[in-house]
Amino acid sequence: MTQPLQAKQVSVSFDGLRALSDVTLDIPPARVSGLIGPNGAGKTTLVNVLTGFQSPTTGSVVCDGRDVSGLSAHKLRRLGVARTFQGGRLFKDLSVLDNLEVTGVGLGLTRREAASRAVDMLDWVGISHLMTDIAGSLPYTDERRVGIARALMMAPSFVLLDEPAAGMSAHEADDLADLIARIVKDMKCGVLLIEHNISLVLKICEHIHVLDSGELIDEGDPAHIKTSEKVLHAYMGTQGDVDMQGAIL
Amino acid sequence: MSTTKHPSVLAQTVSTPVILIGGLALIAVLTWAFGSNIFGRTVTEMFIRVALVVGMFTFIGNSGVISFGHAGFMCIGAYGSAWLTIPPMMKKVLLPGLSPMLANAELTFFLSLIIASLFAGVIAFAVGLILMRLSGIASSIATFAMLAVINTIYSNWGPVTGGTSSVVGIPITTGVWISFGGAAAAVVIAYLYGISRSGLALRAGRDEAVAAAASGVDIYRERLIAFTISGALCGMAGVLYAHFLGVVNPDAFYLGVTFISLSMLVVGGMSSLSGAVIGVVLISAIIELLRKMEKGITVGEGTLSLPNGIQEIAIGVVMIVILMFRPGGLTGGAELSLTRTSANDGYSKKDQGSGNHPDNKPRR
Ligand SMILES: Nc1ncnc2c1ncn2[C@@H]1O[C@H](COP(=O)(O)OP(=O)(O)OP(=O)(O)O)[C@@H](O)[C@H]1O
Ligand SMILES: [Mg+2]
Repeated sequence: MTQPLQAKQVSVSFDGLRALSDVTLDIPPARVSGLIGPNGAGKTTLVNVLTGFQSPTTGSVVCDGRDVSGLSAHKLRRLGVARTFQGGRLFKDLSVLDNLEVTGVGLGLTRREAASRAVDMLDWVGISHLMTDIAGSLPYTDERRVGIARALMMAPSFVLLDEPAAGMSAHEADDLADLIARIVKDMKCGVLLIEHNISLVLKICEHIHVLDSGELIDEGDPAHIKTSEKVLHAYMGTQGDVDMQGAIL
Repeated sequence: MSTTKHPSVLAQTVSTPVILIGGLALIAVLTWAFGSNIFGRTVTEMFIRVALVVGMFTFIGNSGVISFGHAGFMCIGAYGSAWLTIPPMMKKVLLPGLSPMLANAELTFFLSLIIASLFAGVIAFAVGLILMRLSGIASSIATFAMLAVINTIYSNWGPVTGGTSSVVGIPITTGVWISFGGAAAAVVIAYLYGISRSGLALRAGRDEAVAAAASGVDIYRERLIAFTISGALCGMAGVLYAHFLGVVNPDAFYLGVTFISLSMLVVGGMSSLSGAVIGVVLISAIIELLRKMEKGITVGEGTLSLPNGIQEIAIGVVMIVILMFRPGGLTGGAELSLTRTSANDGYSKKDQGSGNHPDNKPRR
């Protein structure tokens, strides 16, 4: 796909609570973009909107030049918009191989074809040794990597990673950074990285969007974000997330 | 990308249906060799139940949605075959409202078995178009409503169904071997569905519907496929039952059979095919034992007999006890298997823990 995945003036309200207000953003193909913001800023809600899990109250989602706002999640996945989940959400009773196979089958392959693609994908991500493990028994970081591998099955045009580095050590986060670089380079896939690990975002994203209380308050390249008053202010206002403040300050 | 060799799912899992059918065949052979007539009837009834419960499993086990309505498909299959096989002379009197085509039909048992089962499948498909859009408890309640509707129609559409009175004159053809054949066919079909694309996708959606959608799975579609196949299998069980008794009436396919068949599924373990079969065999054995004891056993001079109704109570107690100690049923969702790889093929469910993550709940 040569066109960006776009949110156009998207607003989402949950019974009066405004989770997103008039958010417009482009996720360009074959690039890494970042999305940061304090807890409850609306990042996951935006991912849900972009992947068909949440219909925008107003505004639209455009994929490949076409308005896809009304499409259900499985159809958007078939159009090449993949995602991972903050909570992993692996099929915990299935083997790792089958977790990937489901995507192949969901996108129309036979089980045999899907299994062989899944084997290749596990190899590509470097987790072939997990193939026969039951997904529900995996440690946290492996669970994350399987989630990413599952999303990458069948080479999506875009993949939205919702806090993939949560709970990872610095070393593991470095591996993740390498993996994301390969996703872009080898698969020509556009990545949206949502992370509280700001240093990771600053390191690998070309363009970063900042969300606070449902509004996009700033965007730009890492150099700009690092020095942005608005961003600093948004994070200073929150408690907790010492990590983020630390990374920015 | 290279194509890597990976053992096929069939090769890894085929021992499960082979073991199950082998076990049932053993029961059939022993019954044929040593059993009395009466025992033969008990075993026949058990095989019919295997077909029914395995049919229910095809939907319930793979989708995780409990259905209270599958006895309705049994009803549809049974009456369908009654319409097709009762001699036309009798039908003119008993069921004057039948269309000429049905009124004049007098099909052979096997042809009728296939047509009436498919008919139940078609009805399941039509109902499923609506019901499968619902999820969770709403869909379970809706299946119960469907059962009530089917029962009401068959109880009141006198000219076509004979109303609440029994429809007689159905050729009696179902014996031990034919019912065994039906049970074995149900096991094979349920197994093949389980390892199919649709079966895998549906099981993925069972616990993580959201993640399944994010994998391109259209859960509605997969549920509809499973519901249709399972409706046809339960319809087949109904046909076998009609040709076992020679008589049908709507209340034979209502709450009683719903309760028993769901108990069997739950006791065996509702998320494995082995569980469905084991549950039927076990509960059938208990029922038979209690039935004997209700009639009374001679102890020395007098006879000792249990009060009537003890069957239902005992089944209820067995179910509660098993669920207390093994919430996943006797099999806990695992399959009987020779290769011990069933855990790796996604065809079995190992652990019943709840793993809901604090993600946003998508609204669609
Ligand atoms: N399904 C829902 N129903 C009601 N409110 C919701 C729903 N989903 C999200 N919200 C609310 O919308 C706001 C944005 O939540 P969201 O999960 O998108 O934030 P986030 O940026 O992903 O936060 P985090 O960094 O903690 O993951 C929060 O106030 C949240 O409570
Ligand atoms: Mg979030």
